[in-house]
Amino acid sequence: MQKVKIAMTKGRLLKHTIKLLEDAGVDCQPLKEDNRKLVFLLPCYNIEAILLKAADVPTYVEHGVVDMGVAGKDVLLEQEKQLYEVIDLKFGKCKFAVAGKPSMKGGKKHLVVATKYPNVAKNHFAQKGQSVEIIKQEGSVELAPLMGLSDVIVDIVETGKTLKENGLIVLEEIADISARLILNEVSYKTKKKEITEIVNLIEKAVDN
Amino acid sequence: MKLRRVLLPEGVQDLLINDCIYRRQIEDKFMENFKQSGYMEVNSPALEYYDLFSRDYLANNGDNTFKLVDTNGKILVLRPDCTVPIVRMLSTKMKDFVFPLRLCYVQDVFRIDEEQAGKRREFRQAGVELFGIGSYKADVEIIIIAIESLKHLGLENFQIDIGQTKLLRGILETTEIEEDEKQLIIQNMENKNLVALNELVERLPIAKDIKSILKQLPKLFGKPEEVLNEINNLPLTPSMKEAVGELEKIYKRIEEYGLGRYIKLDLGMITTLKYYSGVIFKGFTKDLGKVLLSGGRYDGLLKDFDMDIPATGFAFSVNKVTKALKIQRNLEMQGKKHVLILEDENSKATADILNSLRQKGYIAEVNLLKNRKDLEEYIKRREIDEIIKVDKDGNINVVDDLEGYRCRR
Repeated sequence: MQKVKIAMTKGRLLKHTIKLLEDAGVDCQPLKEDNRKLVFLLPCYNIEAILLKAADVPTYVEHGVVDMGVAGKDVLLEQEKQLYEVIDLKFGKCKFAVAGKPSMKGGKKHLVVATKYPNVAKNHFAQKGQSVEIIKQEGSVELAPLMGLSDVIVDIVETGKTLKENGLIVLEEIADISARLILNEVSYKTKKKEITEIVNLIEKAVDN
Repeated sequence: MKLRRVLLPEGVQDLLINDCIYRRQIEDKFMENFKQSGYMEVNSPALEYYDLFSRDYLANNGDNTFKLVDTNGKILVLRPDCTVPIVRMLSTKMKDFVFPLRLCYVQDVFRIDEEQAGKRREFRQAGVELFGIGSYKADVEIIIIAIESLKHLGLENFQIDIGQTKLLRGILETTEIEEDEKQLIIQNMENKNLVALNELVERLPIAKDIKSILKQLPKLFGKPEEVLNEINNLPLTPSMKEAVGELEKIYKRIEEYGLGRYIKLDLGMITTLKYYSGVIFKGFTKDLGKVLLSGGRYDGLLKDFDMDIPATGFAFSVNKVTKALKIQRNLEMQGKKHVLILEDENSKATADILNSLRQKGYIAEVNLLKNRKDLEEYIKRREIDEIIKVDKDGNINVVDDLEGYRCRR
């Protein structure tokens, strides 16, 4: 059995990823030990797991330095990397949405959009044939319309609580988001047996 | 701006001494294989008119070409691809050539890729194009060249995956869905985005049999016998059967050449590039998660140039092959004996010995340094194998001892 390398997203998604792998029958004890390691060996299926920030997972998979990864659809939509997206893991569910003050409901011809996801925002408005000005943000996007930096925001919305507390509403939904299992295009071919086995285990665990 | 004077633009690279040696070695071996198979080298200019590249082609590549403006206002591009310019060459300068026409090349291509993502914007391609033969035997010929070239380079653990664009095209023709939806299916098939593909197929008004084929297709890859078995168990229409039959013939013939072990099939291998019209293939090694070579049949491209000539071809990414060889540690310096000559005012004798050494295939150079310490350092750093002294009378002596310095043999 050849070693299969998996990149996982640190933080919110990691807990779910570990649970999923355990449901699939992979012993994840090393991952649960609280330390600063970033590379873990899971001996039972000869898996090497590495922990990355969300936005870096697709990059590692595309370059083929890892064979597969768990990444949010938000990151995949934003980056548009060349890779295979094979399973909807059905956790980390949320939505991409356009949000703003209730007064924005009627729309406006020229919109200023604040977002952490400039590509997603650009593509969404381009599809509608609407020209917009995009301002890239690093965090607390909700502030932008409040302070008058932008008309609306494009962001991921989980419960809508943050929006509500800041007096914003969802104006438009863009896409559903959840975690996905992604594969390197070459590894899937050259390590077909090993990867298919893990993919099948995960697929079954998701369906249950 | 001092910084800008010393920094390189993104995505390009200097090749220092060893990198150049490796590159030449690798490209020479590629060329040797191509030429032995009857392929003739051509070279197209790095600058072409933007208009050469059709809208379809540019759209599929996200129009990531480097552009310049000519003095007359026309837009030029740095060659983003080698095949299109060669087809241009064929349509303008080689029309009366006898077919089959076999051409090969090693050239740089330039593409603007995502920045700061570790991607090259200038890279080398080595490839072949075979014009004038529509039979599967032409596809077999170039696939075998790909295999033999990689073997010649000493690459291990590699495989060629063959797919068939006619298969999916045949399937989609039987359906009555919109063109946009067909494109979506092709896109999701290409990216093996099984999540979106399944959703899409379920949603569209397609016959049940066809739905099951579409869902199965991306999973049908691997060992040729197994893949062929599985696909032949599905309810295929005659045109699909023909497409699969062609793949089968190609595999059989490569197997007869004794190279079957390098072949895998991938029925889900698709390309959004419309000019591919039949069999397509890609090469990989498990040691590098990148495509080493890709190609296929592109009869459609020549129609764009008003020629009804079938064509097939492929290109290696020289950089990726080099990287794979490095990872496998199969790149070795072909060491030539390196001789340094210490001269003593007898130029005639020196010239004679230089000539005779170089004729033997050695690297021979005359010492230009005066200071003994510099000379010792030079000999050590350049790993010189032998030092020869030519004296006033033209006598030649091998120097073992450079006044106390033991010369390495």
